[in-house]
Amino acid sequence: MKLTIERTALLKSLGHVQSVVERRNTLAILSNVLLTAGPEGLSLNATDMDLEIVETAPAEVVGEGATTAPAHTLYDIVRKLPDGAQVELSFEPEDGQLTLRSGRSRFALAALPAGEFPAMSSGAYGHTFSLAAGELRSLIDRTRFAISTEETRYYLNGIFLHAADNGGVAVLRAVATDGHRLARVEMPLPEGAAGMPSVIVPRKAVAELRKLIDEADDDITVSLSESRIRFAFGSATLTSKLIDGTFPDYERVIPTDNDKLLEADCKLLHQAVDRVSAISSEKSRAIKVSLEKGSLTLSASSPEAGSAVEEIEAGYEGPPLEIGFNSRYLLDILQQVDGDAARFAIADNASPTVVQDVADQTAVYVLMPMRV
Amino acid sequence: MLRRLPATLVNQIAAGEVVERPASALKELVENALDAGATRIDATLAEAGRSLIAVLDDGRGMTPEEMELAVERHATSKLPDDDLLDIAFLGFRGEALPSIASVARLSLTSRPRDQAADSAWRLTVEGGEKRDLVPAAHPPGTRVEVRDLFFATPARLKFLKSNRAEQAAAIDALQRLGMAHPEVAFTLSDGQRRMVDLPALPPDLLADPASARLSRLTRVLGRDFADNALAVDAEREGVRLVGHIGLPTFTRSTAQAQYLFVNGRPVRDRLLTGAVRGAYQDVLAGHRHPVLALYVEIDPREVDVNVHPAKAEVRFRDPALVRGLIVGALRHTLAQAGVRTATTVSQQALGAVRPEGSAPLARAGQGGRQGWHGGWGTWSPAPPSAEAIAAGMASQAPAANGLADQGRLAGWELPPQGRDPANQSDPAPPPEPPGADHPLGVARGQVHDTYIVAETPDGLVIVDQHAAHERLVLERMSAALAESGVPRQALLIPEVVELDPAAAERLAARAEELADLGLVLEAFGPGTLIVRETPALLGETDVQGLIRDLADELAETDHTTALKQRLGDVCATLACHGSVRAGRRLSLTEMNALLRQMEATPRSGQCNHGRPTWVRLDKTDIERLFGRR
Ligand SMILES: Nc1ncnc2c1ncn2[C@@H]1O[C@H](COP(=O)(O)OP(=O)(O)OP(=O)(O)O)[C@@H](O)[C@H]1O
Ligand SMILES: [Mg+2]
Repeated sequence: MKLTIERTALLKSLGHVQSVVERRNTLAILSNVLLTAGPEGLSLNATDMDLEIVETAPAEVVGEGATTAPAHTLYDIVRKLPDGAQVELSFEPEDGQLTLRSGRSRFALAALPAGEFPAMSSGAYGHTFSLAAGELRSLIDRTRFAISTEETRYYLNGIFLHAADNGGVAVLRAVATDGHRLARVEMPLPEGAAGMPSVIVPRKAVAELRKLIDEADDDITVSLSESRIRFAFGSATLTSKLIDGTFPDYERVIPTDNDKLLEADCKLLHQAVDRVSAISSEKSRAIKVSLEKGSLTLSASSPEAGSAVEEIEAGYEGPPLEIGFNSRYLLDILQQVDGDAARFAIADNASPTVVQDVADQTAVYVLMPMRV
Repeated sequence: MLRRLPATLVNQIAAGEVVERPASALKELVENALDAGATRIDATLAEAGRSLIAVLDDGRGMTPEEMELAVERHATSKLPDDDLLDIAFLGFRGEALPSIASVARLSLTSRPRDQAADSAWRLTVEGGEKRDLVPAAHPPGTRVEVRDLFFATPARLKFLKSNRAEQAAAIDALQRLGMAHPEVAFTLSDGQRRMVDLPALPPDLLADPASARLSRLTRVLGRDFADNALAVDAEREGVRLVGHIGLPTFTRSTAQAQYLFVNGRPVRDRLLTGAVRGAYQDVLAGHRHPVLALYVEIDPREVDVNVHPAKAEVRFRDPALVRGLIVGALRHTLAQAGVRTATTVSQQALGAVRPEGSAPLARAGQGGRQGWHGGWGTWSPAPPSAEAIAAGMASQAPAANGLADQGRLAGWELPPQGRDPANQSDPAPPPEPPGADHPLGVARGQVHDTYIVAETPDGLVIVDQHAAHERLVLERMSAALAESGVPRQALLIPEVVELDPAAAERLAARAEELADLGLVLEAFGPGTLIVRETPALLGETDVQGLIRDLADELAETDHTTALKQRLGDVCATLACHGSVRAGRRLSLTEMNALLRQMEATPRSGQCNHGRPTWVRLDKTDIERLFGRR
């Protein structure tokens, strides 16, 4: 195998694939990236056995072939090469080493045979549809903050992606929850997605996917089977196993008849919560919201730091009400609202509160109060 | 063939429960002697009690008729009113002597206390069969000899452990009785050596039960215990708790050295040990156990002692009351002791500063400078600071008598090279003379930006600034939690936990207490709990795991410390982040403020991990280091 590639192109592709590789591996081969030189250029492949990214970069291939080399080391070297440099990669099976040459630098890296690299079986994908990069980004960005990190509830450790029906309209929905709050975001169901299986996309795949989306501007093709999901970009493909579990029946916890409605300027509220929560104690972050006709008062106190109160104008017509929230959760949600105003639908201080962007009904956030 | 078992066999079966090893036989005999009102009890063992257990007492004694009865089954003089609920003696079943007699060769020699010398008799029983009753020569009191224990039941013999282990068990049994009865003198010997010697206490000491107890405990547990123990005395609804408990810095790796007594009876009881664990929970590293001796005095009707063949366990009619009393009293005592720390730790530190290779203290002064550096090295490696301290200490020595000598103290300074540059610019407050109201003294400087050195009237104190501050922050947070309640996060998706039905019921019964700690749950059919709210402090937590831990703990100890523990851990982590680190320079004002806060904060003597936050070197110790004593 022998090829020449521009440092920039190599760095970009390596950057995508190397972040899949775990820092510590018991299987040496999993620390490596699979390099394959072929007619389309250099293809790079990294996996942690649950998640795989394959990316092809343009390269001038002199001799076809394949090998594997330590991903993080390789990335580190390429990162430190000067901008605009040309990189030559070569591998002779009898040496057992990958040689990297650039300018006056020469590196020899321990290689492991390409045959040992675990390839994800390609399998059959029963459903394929495509959607714009921006749409996928919006589904992810507005839900991922609510993904659970508690590993004992593994079925919440990802985004639940499925087709649903919202008042007669077919939608593609992304839902995430950590049991304290929930985010539900939807978009019109793309063509070809009808009848797709409901799947849970793991947190790590979501994070890697998000990085790839940033550089994609074309449509993204999504393929689904019962156990896999694949996202195909122009030159890169991300394949992930799905979480094998049942996502809870989330519809049941989204109240529909909360009758106390509050409308507030999203930015003002965000800033006020941010300020007042400076006082609430480090870990519990409790903040109290007191509602009266036409106004909203935020307060927090901690025996350590003192107390804070801030009042802001708000549209509220209901009876006086006091309700506690984790300020961080509140901020997380307010951050998702792009429009000027947020609408809160509240039942009482012990039941879930629903938050929505007044100007955009595609996202619903549910927040469980805190009892202080 | 259905038949009544012969008496000997019945007794052997009972013996299987009452006497399982030499130590239990010894215990029964000594209890009998105590019940007989003895003031001195001398026990002898040969071959760890296998070939001989002899107990001599100066008690009431027995007539020949009484002796004959005593070895009959269910003959007792200790239930005069036929009332099992009112047990005033250690024995009450009338089972011990016949049981022992059925498995060994037993002889009783006794003379009733106020009778003439010719009224002493000896009765021998062998394998359950009464042999002869003969006149004997004996002082007032009783001597019981048990020879060839288990000769009649060889299977038992096989279960005995090594002589050494059996002897250790016997010593432990006797010591426990000795701790329970400081008014009686005890000895235990193996014919050559006295293994236990608990002498009679002088009458003036006996007049004060607390001092008598401490004196006896010290005899058993060693001088260290007395130096590191706090007296407990509390009463609640007619139940009294007295005793001495070790400081949290004076611990063992097992719960072996926890001695518990109920109405003068040594017991091992889960309720009591659980209560002790609960009381120390905040101040002790998980795997350490305090040393203590606790005496519960309670109306005999409120406690059932007839639940265990060897009477080692008891059952309280109101366990919650007793538990509450113990936890409350111990916590209170520990909190009051606030700033005390184990002197033994100081002793260890002192050991560490001794010049190497000069074990006896008297030679310390001859160690020379070389030796000093080696010695200090283990404790305070950088020479300039070490010299500074050494110089400081030396210049302190003359101030021994006139400790409030303002002029001298004001003139006292660290030599320049030892001075902390950060402190030089600090407009140091005029150093006040260390007073008795400031047990941690007046800060004199900081070494390695980590330890505060403070001067007290009779020595010096070294404080680990990070450990100490961390403890202060934790105490403040706990106080805040206790005051304002634990904020709870309601769950959007309630967690359903499946347990075995008994465990679920136990947890559900504690729902109220758990809610105070931020955990709201309710029963949902047998074996199922629904958790609706969790302590916000825990963030997103493993609810299933938490509930299971709590269930296990409740089954085992009747406590819910697992939750408190987790909240405590979070607080401790926060406290750790929120406190002054090692390596941070402090001004004298800051140092003194920290010392004053420590004095004002209960339990500040240990850090959150159970290590001491400060140690003291007495002036006498310092003088010894310099060979002045
Ligand atoms: N050392 C002694 N001095 C005087 N009387 C004794 C002594 N040892 C035993 N006795 C008498 O013998 C009786 C029987 O003793 P034994 O130990 O068998 O039964 P107990 O002490 O009454 O009950 P338990 O079986 O619970 O120990 C006692 O009740 C007591 O009257
Ligand atoms: Mg007895």
